[in-house]
Amino acid sequence: MRKKIKAKDWLLLVLTIVVSIIIIFPVLFAFMSAFKSNGEILADPLALPSSFGFDNFQRLFEETNFLEAFTNSVIITICSLFLIVLIIPMAAYPLARQKGKFYYIVYVYFIMSFMIPFQTYMIPLFEQLDTLGLLGNLYGVINQYIAFSVSLSVLLYTSFIRGIPYTLEEAAEIDGANKFTIFWKIIFPLVTPTTVTIIVLQGLGIWNDFLLPLLVMSGMDVKTINVEIYQFIGLYSAQWGILFAGTVIAMTPMIIFFTAAQRYFVKGITAGAVKA
Amino acid sequence: MKKIWNNHRTSLMFIFPAFFFYTLFIIYPTIVSIPYSFFSWNGISDDMTFIGWDNYSNMFQSDRFYNSVSNTFLYAVVKTILVNIIALAVAVLVDNVIKGKTFFRNVIFIPVLLSGIVLGFIWSIMYNSNFGIINALLANVGLENLQQDWLGNPELARWSLIVTMVWKQIGYHMIIYLAALQSVPKELLESADLDGATPWKRFWKVTFPLLAGAVTINVTLSFFNGMKIFEEIAVMTDGGPGFTTENLPYQIYKVAFANYQYGYGTALAVILFILTMVLTVVQNKILSKREIDM
Repeated sequence: MRKKIKAKDWLLLVLTIVVSIIIIFPVLFAFMSAFKSNGEILADPLALPSSFGFDNFQRLFEETNFLEAFTNSVIITICSLFLIVLIIPMAAYPLARQKGKFYYIVYVYFIMSFMIPFQTYMIPLFEQLDTLGLLGNLYGVINQYIAFSVSLSVLLYTSFIRGIPYTLEEAAEIDGANKFTIFWKIIFPLVTPTTVTIIVLQGLGIWNDFLLPLLVMSGMDVKTINVEIYQFIGLYSAQWGILFAGTVIAMTPMIIFFTAAQRYFVKGITAGAVKA
Repeated sequence: MKKIWNNHRTSLMFIFPAFFFYTLFIIYPTIVSIPYSFFSWNGISDDMTFIGWDNYSNMFQSDRFYNSVSNTFLYAVVKTILVNIIALAVAVLVDNVIKGKTFFRNVIFIPVLLSGIVLGFIWSIMYNSNFGIINALLANVGLENLQQDWLGNPELARWSLIVTMVWKQIGYHMIIYLAALQSVPKELLESADLDGATPWKRFWKVTFPLLAGAVTINVTLSFFNGMKIFEEIAVMTDGGPGFTTENLPYQIYKVAFANYQYGYGTALAVILFILTMVLTVVQNKILSKREIDM
């Protein structure tokens, strides 16, 4: 009996390893190819690199604006997340605490855009950003990411705040604290779990976004990492090694972020899924 | 109990910044898209001509439109079915593995971290007909006759795209299924064991019904995400060969930003919006019905 269970367990383990390798393979392939020369890739795409050189990376940084695009992506992601976490829990606080029809309507208004596909308002948005002078710079994209994140973030923050007892706020109010102090000193630290969820979910979405930066920055010198790679594919279509070096640099920050915070990714995705 | 919030002015000050960005950059452009759709306009000149329902009637006479609508549904439906079956199977597998559950879960999750552009690029090289991995693998195992031009063949290209979309999302849906599997009470499974249920029967009669909530979430998420596919198409096929792999979101982009037909593009966008709204309502109806049944 005991032996039988062991055999079954081994079988499961082998099966899991095989499945994992199949799923991870394209990622490994990209890492492997980033260290291969163009000739090597064309000769045998499955072979391991003959030497462990950084030629492709060096050429990538020397011959393209990749570093600048990378920096733009970092700036956009960090600034957007900072503003999202600053602005949205603040809006969620009165929405969670105030009773009455007006606040319910505002809440529903904020949640509404879940149902609106981006392509629906993409064309008027492009005009709108043009009118406001937000095309071709980082501000337009950052503003848009704040707007994007409102629905999910308001939903998650209000439901979390509703679960916080009033007592602490009442005590602070008796001590003469105003709403801003109460919010920053009491509520904001208490909603940290939701803030982490938002940073994980929105951070992943913003870093990986493509269509918005393509539209807002099209034809301009300012690019994000995904737009840069997309345009590479046309320009450097025969330089596979350099392209792979670019994709490896694009995915590495997220893999590092994930490895460091994988617990929160799991929490964020299950919380986001259940609440949405 | 004392009412903490009685000052509306402070409340409005708290709400205003989020309200401002949201209204200016999402709600306003959404509303404006409806009147745009009745104009002929290239987006550049000041010359906007009111043409009534012409954009819509042209659309309903165009094969390209019907093709992109049917692709939109094909991607959403097929991807939803495949990704859910595979993700659930993988979740059950990883859940039962003796050691390294977290490790395998993390490895399988990694593709989810990649942008559509990055994974689209990697897969377009894997599919490449001359030196792609997939054809090379087929050659290595002596199946040369199965080699294909995976993205160049109009019939195959759609399915090649679907494989990529499914592959990217397995880890995401697996995590939701894994979380649901953790909440299945161990006592129930043990008592099924004592009653002599086979593992297969135990799964379908005990575990699966308890996963109903996770199935609902995963199906809804993958369906609505499937309707929005964009990056993979942009990198891998550019909607081609011809227009065969184009879906509605991609056609809207192409029409507006490659052909400068802003009016026609917004008419397509209005249709996408209506489709999404109808499906959301239908989905809510089905879900609320199911909740009563349970």
